[in-house]
Amino acid sequence: MITLTNVRKQFGRDIAVQDVSLHVERGEIYGIIGASGAGKSTVLRLMNLLETPDAGTVEIDGALLTSLSTKQLRAKRHVIGMIFQQFNLVANKTVFENVVAPLRLAGRPRATHEERVLECLRFVGLEAFKDKYPAQLSGGQKQRVAIARALANEPHVLLCDEPTSSLDPNTTAEVLGVLKSINERLGVTIVIVTHEMDVIKQVCDRVTVMADGSVYETIDLVPSGVPAIDNNPAWFVDQLKKAGEADA
Amino acid sequence: MPEVLIQYQTEIWRSIGETFIMVGVSILAAVLVGLPLGTWLYLSRKGQLLENRAVFSVLNLVVNIVRSFPFLLLVVFLIPFTRLIIGTAIGTAAATVPLAIIAIAHYSRLVEQSLLDVPRGVVEAAVSMGASIKDVIFKFLYVEARSGLVLGLTTSIISFISYSTIMGVVGGGGIGDFAIRYGYQQFKTELMMYMIFIMLLFVQMIQFTGTTVARLIDKR
Repeated sequence: MITLTNVRKQFGRDIAVQDVSLHVERGEIYGIIGASGAGKSTVLRLMNLLETPDAGTVEIDGALLTSLSTKQLRAKRHVIGMIFQQFNLVANKTVFENVVAPLRLAGRPRATHEERVLECLRFVGLEAFKDKYPAQLSGGQKQRVAIARALANEPHVLLCDEPTSSLDPNTTAEVLGVLKSINERLGVTIVIVTHEMDVIKQVCDRVTVMADGSVYETIDLVPSGVPAIDNNPAWFVDQLKKAGEADA
Repeated sequence: MPEVLIQYQTEIWRSIGETFIMVGVSILAAVLVGLPLGTWLYLSRKGQLLENRAVFSVLNLVVNIVRSFPFLLLVVFLIPFTRLIIGTAIGTAAATVPLAIIAIAHYSRLVEQSLLDVPRGVVEAAVSMGASIKDVIFKFLYVEARSGLVLGLTTSIISFISYSTIMGVVGGGGIGDFAIRYGYQQFKTELMMYMIFIMLLFVQMIQFTGTTVARLIDKR
């Protein structure tokens, strides 16, 4: 689905990514983990050419992105969804307007917009919030809106840049649950960059560990699943007690 | 109604009209040229979508030069240019030329600053969705920066009113010129005060409108 071949990216004198090759299979959830500065975010951003590689090629969904014209690249990006750590919603647009934006950009027939937006919002469980502004939402809700926006054009791939890193454990589970069901129900290939080990263990089928801008190792995993977390205070007490026992 | 105001009614209305023309043309120039210029300044900066060091340096320099001129000197300096476009360097129409030029420089800088306040991530998200430069500008940047753009324009308009008051030097007329010639130079202090009051009223109204609109459209 995604193939990076010997990609290299340099910022000024700093080599962010050197000679990275990796392959993401269709339909899997692929993780990339590493310390900060290991180049994992850059690798993700190379996948939709938000960063242009200094060398190497990027192939995604059968198209060699590195050889496309600007216009072709824009068209291809319509079916590559992306979400970010800071959500990056347009604060002056309502939830509905945020999600409809990619449909307009892709030039989909106007008559289909409303239905599609509501469908995506329903998928992330935020249909009732369509007229709210991002400032009125919690972090987890914002990320779910961002996911709905990324899903609008029925992408084949969803790139996630630290999708849960500014969320608390409850909302992390909530967002991971949504990502998991996107993968299972819609068959979307997902790439997740994160520094959170738990995130990788819970959802990823395969993970690449990066260090100093290179691939350190790629391993197969059996995802442990997203834990059921609730806001019941008893749950917090339980968790704390359990942690205490483990330490002892 | 005070007697002086009735006595000079015709002149007062005419000078208000002249101020409106001068400020109106300045606003048009600011929006039609200053806004795109400021956007270009922003986009050509390092790390932005149309990064281009040469373009940015030139635009930046030109805007700085225009803005560092003492305005009266700019008016004088531009006389040959004004004559070239308007055919004369005297009168209200001629006065709009230097005003339009300072308006463009003034507003473009404020536009650039407002756009710099838009989080980078928003632009990045737009690009990742396949937005063209035009889409990024109109569907993301201007939407997100809109209250800053309105507040900037408000500040600019008030400066334009202030600039317009000295256009008497090239026969531009306007309320400021009237206040100086009739009020100050003919020792009609009362009349001068009334004119200052009218300007104060305009400025208050513009500031109030600008602040209110900016607040209403800001959902951040």
